[in-house]
Amino acid sequence: MVNKQDFKKVEEYVYEIPKSFRPDMRVPARLYADEELLEAALGDRSLRQLVNTATLPGVVKYTLAMPDIHQGYGPPIGGVIPSKASTGIISPGAVGYDINCGVRLLRSNILAEEVKPIMGDIVNALFQGVPSGVGRSGDVRLSHRDTDNVLERGSAWAVSQGYGTKDDLEHTEERGGMAGAEARAVSPKAKKRGRDQLGTLGSGNHFVEVAEVEEVYDRKVAEAFGLFEGQMVVWIHSGSRGLGHQVCTDYVRDLQKAVTKYGIKLPDRELVCAPFDSPEGRDYFAAMASAANYAWANRQVLAHRVRRILDDVLAGVVKDRELTLVYDVTHNIAKLEEHPIDGQLTKLVIHRKGATRAFGPGMEGLPANYREVGQPVLIPGDMGTASYVLVGTAKAMEKTFGTSCHGAGRVMSRRAAKTKIRGQELAKELRSQGIIVRGGSMAGLAEEAPAAYKDVDRVVNVVHSLGIARKVARVVPLGVIKG
Amino acid sequence: MMTKRFDEIEHTADLAIRAYGRDMKELFANAAYGMFALMAEPFGLSLRTKPSLEEPTREREVSLEATDYESLLVDWLNELIYLHEVEGETYSQFTIETLSPAELKAHVTGGPTKSKTKAIKAATFHELEVVKTDKGYEATIVFDV
Repeated sequence: MVNKQDFKKVEEYVYEIPKSFRPDMRVPARLYADEELLEAALGDRSLRQLVNTATLPGVVKYTLAMPDIHQGYGPPIGGVIPSKASTGIISPGAVGYDINCGVRLLRSNILAEEVKPIMGDIVNALFQGVPSGVGRSGDVRLSHRDTDNVLERGSAWAVSQGYGTKDDLEHTEERGGMAGAEARAVSPKAKKRGRDQLGTLGSGNHFVEVAEVEEVYDRKVAEAFGLFEGQMVVWIHSGSRGLGHQVCTDYVRDLQKAVTKYGIKLPDRELVCAPFDSPEGRDYFAAMASAANYAWANRQVLAHRVRRILDDVLAGVVKDRELTLVYDVTHNIAKLEEHPIDGQLTKLVIHRKGATRAFGPGMEGLPANYREVGQPVLIPGDMGTASYVLVGTAKAMEKTFGTSCHGAGRVMSRRAAKTKIRGQELAKELRSQGIIVRGGSMAGLAEEAPAAYKDVDRVVNVVHSLGIARKVARVVPLGVIKG
Repeated sequence: MMTKRFDEIEHTADLAIRAYGRDMKELFANAAYGMFALMAEPFGLSLRTKPSLEEPTREREVSLEATDYESLLVDWLNELIYLHEVEGETYSQFTIETLSPAELKAHVTGGPTKSKTKAIKAATFHELEVVKTDKGYEATIVFDV
């Protein structure tokens, strides 16, 4: 049981549980939050889970969680676990079941005002045209060889098949294809699940959203990102579908043996792991990178589909209907990165589960046209309030291993949301606010109600005040389709 | 009187059930039944009574190995999720033929999935415990959706 008194306030918005709190902790555990969000976090198991992450072999400096922290499987969602590549572990639970669940933002030269009058038509067209919802298969059916190509090449494969442009690759994290991916590390079962799900949205909290840039906070950075007030933009939030889930399931099962083999004691079975520098650890990394590439290819195909649909429905309404990719970020991943530990640049496995990379200006791997300002950090909120575009900073590298939050975080269970909120009422209420929503089921819609989520404005303000990512623009929903 | 097979329980982000069984085999069968009841047709609206089904038309054999009952339970449910997704089938009858901490052999019957209510993507170890009670066994399983 973690209580408020167990935290030591290091500085404004930084709370730390010292490693003396529990004998099995190897490093302290930090929570970046304001007092209200800290109180909220005491309401579920997320803080105990955070403490658990500090017990993993090879963790360095501190493990941490973002202000949108909530309970997950093993580590909490919103968690970052830094582990030494040479002596530390890699853990599937610290990445998440939906490997490379992530989000992309497309910009346009269209004013939101121009499309608001036909938002109903736009939402309907997207709902009909984007394969979404439970068990829906896409129309990109992959052969065995195609599947392996997707796993090893990610977005680049999609672009080579005509789904998008080279410019899209430039503006995707890892260029949409992580090094180290090996299709042979992915099970036949996972590949089978992935065969006909490419280009599908999925369900749960996945969505496509047409939105308006309501306010710009940083004109210089907004300009570099190509954003302006009143602009129509489109969000796409989706992951690696059944394939990624199967990879996680497979390795959570297989690594149970590794834990015994390497003598690793775990406070929670979902923290199952293996030394990164071991055959088991390397296999998981190779499989995870492959699943991540699948997700990038998925978002690439989805973006292509969205572009075609909008081009069609907006023909005759606006002339320039081009949608360009601002950026695509992942928020469930493990990356090999170098960070200073005790003054020395050290190779670390940075696990981000429900957390987004937030690289500052000059960092390698950023697209040329963002190198001066820093990486776009995309924060999808919930469908009733707002989303944000932030920019990464050098301070993030100092404080949070180059990481920021990822969204709003749930506070209410799906079951409670379903009983308290009626999908029909919700759709009506949102419509009265000018937001049109279409979802696969009314119950599904209720589960995703704004009331079920934390306050995204609050979460973003913490991150901004900390200086780990700076506000660039606030974006509000106009039309949303959910699976 | 019909013995309760499972209950849906609260969980912040996803779905969870508590399954019951007079013995371990029944526990495993009811856990699977509960999962499918949450997930899909052809069950009809009443989850706790015998499903009003058309003649079951599909049958599968499941054979698994593990190291303990908890792993086996998670594996069992994940195998069924996999078959459900890849074969497009929903199962309503589960006959557990062999069950030990090291192995499970089962026969499942069902039919093509008609329409879905929920996408369960994986069974997790989260807060999983197989517990002996005075009525037999119970287990809480959390699913990722």
